[in-house]
Amino acid sequence: MTALRIVIDVLIAISAIFALAGTIGVLKMPDAFSRMQASTCIPTLGTICALLGALLYAIFFKNGDAGSAVKIAVICLLILVTNPIGSHILAKGAYKAGIRPEKKMETDDLGRDLYD
Amino acid sequence: MRKTTFPAILATFVLCFAFWVLLTWSFTMQELIAGGVVSLAVALFSARFFIHEKAFWFANPAKFFSGLFYWLCIFPIELVKANLNMAKICFTGCKKINPGIVKVPVDLQSEYGQAALANSITLTPGTITMETAEEDGQNYFYIHWIDVTAPSGKEAGDAIKGTLEKGLRRVWK
Repeated sequence: MTALRIVIDVLIAISAIFALAGTIGVLKMPDAFSRMQASTCIPTLGTICALLGALLYAIFFKNGDAGSAVKIAVICLLILVTNPIGSHILAKGAYKAGIRPEKKMETDDLGRDLYD
Repeated sequence: MRKTTFPAILATFVLCFAFWVLLTWSFTMQELIAGGVVSLAVALFSARFFIHEKAFWFANPAKFFSGLFYWLCIFPIELVKANLNMAKICFTGCKKINPGIVKVPVDLQSEYGQAALANSITLTPGTITMETAEEDGQNYFYIHWIDVTAPSGKEAGDAIKGTLEKGLRRVWK
């Protein structure tokens, strides 16, 4: 059981590290789109590792508490399905509303083809 | 407006009902019947916005297992790689970035395939799908890329989504 406990703790530590990376990115990146990119770290590995740890905990330390385990799995699934749609529409909306990075982008095919 | 087909209603109903059972996690008759009625109503109204193609593609075992392989093996590996890359950029001060929007061709025709690929690209840190377009029968994605290392077109496409697309093409054409 101790080994399992260590695995759970390591998973939650990894998730904390990636959430920290995402937060640093959100605070330090130069423009809106790059900030959005950095924030993707948080819902992917940040949340998935924490939920995986919680799932293992619910299964092995709570005597196979099926209700909690299934709810954790559903949370994980819902985050994975809804998060990309949200960031996709945010990025598109920001671009449509006329937000551009201060430093000119390397290539900007979207502006060339559709908006400018 | 597209027509509602019976397989589409059935598939939406199964999805809604499975979610109901997972969320409530109680198996008394009363709860199951209430869930069934609500799921059926939702399925009747929303199936035509949801499913426009063959609803039961996963009945084919080859497709089912390559889909499972994609979601459990190919995609997580790409996700971890991209996450490590992004964490490295963030911890070293967000200086070495070179953002840009590239236009890449996509070799998937099916709506499911395109949606899955676009969502996979958006979920990997470092790339966000911003817009899709179709020109002369060829589909294109406009992708915001944090570190542009290849020119627009096929090379950028291979660098961003080469492995993902190869995995998905085994499931949807």
